[in-house]
Amino acid sequence: MGWIVTAGILTLVWLARGLMLPILLAAMLAYLLGPAIIWTDTLAIRRTVAVAMLYVVIITVLVVAGYLLGPGLFAEASTLIDRLPTLTQKADAGLDAAVRELGESAPALRRLLPEGGQWMQRFILDRAPSDPTELFQHAGHLFLFTILVPFFAFFFLRDMHRLIALALNRLPPQHVETSVAVWRELNGAIGRYIRGVVLDGLAVGTLAAIGLWAVGVPYPLLLGAFAGVANMVPFVGPLLSAGAAALVIVLTPGQGLAGIVRVVLLFLVIKVVDDTLVQPFTIGGSVHLHPALLLGSVVVGNHALGILGMIVAVPVATVLQETTRLLLEHRRVLARREPRRLPGHLVV
Amino acid sequence: MLEEHLPRWLRWAEDPELARRAPFLARAPLFAGLPRRLLGRLAPRFFEKTYHPGEIVFHEGDPGRALFVVLEGAVEIIQISAQGEYLLRTLGPGDAFGELALVDDFPRSATARVANPGRLLILYKSDFDALMEGNARIAMVVMRNLSRMLAVYARRTSVLAESANRPSREEAP
Repeated sequence: MGWIVTAGILTLVWLARGLMLPILLAAMLAYLLGPAIIWTDTLAIRRTVAVAMLYVVIITVLVVAGYLLGPGLFAEASTLIDRLPTLTQKADAGLDAAVRELGESAPALRRLLPEGGQWMQRFILDRAPSDPTELFQHAGHLFLFTILVPFFAFFFLRDMHRLIALALNRLPPQHVETSVAVWRELNGAIGRYIRGVVLDGLAVGTLAAIGLWAVGVPYPLLLGAFAGVANMVPFVGPLLSAGAAALVIVLTPGQGLAGIVRVVLLFLVIKVVDDTLVQPFTIGGSVHLHPALLLGSVVVGNHALGILGMIVAVPVATVLQETTRLLLEHRRVLARREPRRLPGHLVV
Repeated sequence: MLEEHLPRWLRWAEDPELARRAPFLARAPLFAGLPRRLLGRLAPRFFEKTYHPGEIVFHEGDPGRALFVVLEGAVEIIQISAQGEYLLRTLGPGDAFGELALVDDFPRSATARVANPGRLLILYKSDFDALMEGNARIAMVVMRNLSRMLAVYARRTSVLAESANRPSREEAP
């Protein structure tokens, strides 16, 4: 019977695999908002009411933030999109000339140099959706995500404690203590990590936007927002955001090599400030992964699920490490099963 | 209109389970003396599980990781030896057991078995530690209650030891 149920669940999961990403993002959102609901629990407020109130607050904050920052971000994005064809043409012309010059001065290298030109054209413009159907499909996906992620997160926040109680009641009594221990440790570590990463992203994004504006790089708000989001990907994130800013410099006439050097220096400073001043207060001791394991998990995550895999690699590795640690600890205690015998036994 | 409906809305907005749990914990000796606000912070940290009669909550020698509070039903604390089973205590609603897991890392000193169908509240050690670290008042009150329970235990132990060492009337000169 158990096997039939398991097979049924696995089939359902396979059929609904398209929903895995929004569910995963919803779980992350629920972890992010969890402390607010824990606080309303202390006031014995019904979860439905608490989560609904929290959503009203978040929507208000987003509307205000959109009102304050939205026009600037929208203007930057529109200008960039409008100027992109001209900028890529100019950049391609410059790159073609450089490659030609290099080929002429060092004929031995000619065979090694890539051919065809239109580097930026192929790198940027050809990736953008050109067909209106494709554009609508992208917009549809985005809209679906915007609806589905908060929808699933609402139910995670409202019903997760009920699901845990259900699972606990199904567990054999001898496994309850260890299961509660494993669940609490994992839940705590993942929650602290996700909240830490988001706070860290906010800090890095703000620092990048201010820094880019200060050194005169165009589109500082857009690039700052990108730096904050990319920061969620360990190791690769800072490189991606510095690369994006450098690309904008390459595409902007009059910035030159000095602009690229300024951007690289700025992102180095942000990385140092993040590692030494921001991260100890945000991510801090939420995960205790060995650096080699951290890097390994990110590489494996990238192979399995791409960018998403790199983002979830650290929490997944933490879950595996903590589960193994707790189970080994359990076995160690069982191995030295020498309880203290207390006469009287008012306490156990 | 508002005056008429507001109390009903407030009652509806209240989680009945959590609202019931805090006053219940106030009656448990371990949490006696904690103000309602702090009991409110403590209550959501508990897990709840239903047990059937005869089910073992934990065995003597098991690693201790949690405190249990009897919400409904009865739990027997027993010791099993070669001579048989020895009932130490029977606990009812409001009683807590497994307190020593919150203090040290020794294995359980006795077995806990459910006597009547019941529900237990389970507080994991790390949650308790986090709560104590974050709130000195909770730490002080709970530790004082635990010290009182240990003091009663120590007195009972010394009385037992004294009666075991005292010579019987037949042996006395």
